[in-house]
Amino acid sequence: MTVTTEDLAEGITRVVMDGRLDIAGAAAVDLKMNVIAGSKSRVLLDMQKVSFLGSMGLRSIVIPAQTVHRRGGKVVIFAPAEMVESVLKASGIDTLIPIRHELADALAALQ
Amino acid sequence: MSGPENKPAHQLTLRSQLPELALVPPWVDALARQHAIPEKRCFAIQLCLEEALSNIIRHGYRSEPDRTLSITFASSSEAGLSFTIEDCAPPFDPTAPEAMQEPAAPLSLLDLEPGGNGLPLLRKFSDSLRYERLANGNRLTIRFFAAPPLDRSDVASRAPTRR
Repeated sequence: MTVTTEDLAEGITRVVMDGRLDIAGAAAVDLKMNVIAGSKSRVLLDMQKVSFLGSMGLRSIVIPAQTVHRRGGKVVIFAPAEMVESVLKASGIDTLIPIRHELADALAALQ
Repeated sequence: MSGPENKPAHQLTLRSQLPELALVPPWVDALARQHAIPEKRCFAIQLCLEEALSNIIRHGYRSEPDRTLSITFASSSEAGLSFTIEDCAPPFDPTAPEAMQEPAAPLSLLDLEPGGNGLPLLRKFSDSLRYERLANGNRLTIRFFAAPPLDRSDVASRAPTRR
């Protein structure tokens, strides 16, 4: 599991997660995700390349998202695959962190 | 008991260490290739096994590293796919209502407790769970029936009703 970042226009940071967000994957990215959450205010969490999501992986999304929100920022989840989105919906995360499948919609939700 | 449509059982034994869970996905993938398990079903199987196994390692065995768990796979036309997990941990029934209980729906992201999703995900992504207490451990059988692969509408409909 890897995390890379890209600064977009208007202060938006695209955070690209790539791999399995299982227990091992979550442990591999937790530190970097928390550093990002502590410094970025508009986060587009690009989950297109996430192939698996478990409950520990959910924590790796929720805790950084909470940090961003506490700092007055916003987080949008972008384009999760169908089964990954199923996990987000089953846990109710989708009602607390917006999910968008079109990039323009995701960027608009961060305004 | 086997018949012409039944497949032989397969077994995986793990040590009670979280890194051992990395052995599970390739094992499931190999079963998927052998038994033509659809991709979405494979995802659900891996999810359920990760949640059940991590719960045993972290809570049942309290992260003691020298214990073992076994997972036995079986497939039949009548019962579908089953994964039976056995351990030597203290009694814990993950199917009990109190174990499966989800926290009240939070009003906002900041009210959300980050954890507590593991066992509810196990329930939602499996078709059947059966628990038995053994003489010195627990047995959990997770079943996936011969049905169309899970999709979002199926799982979303099992989401808890907001209070």
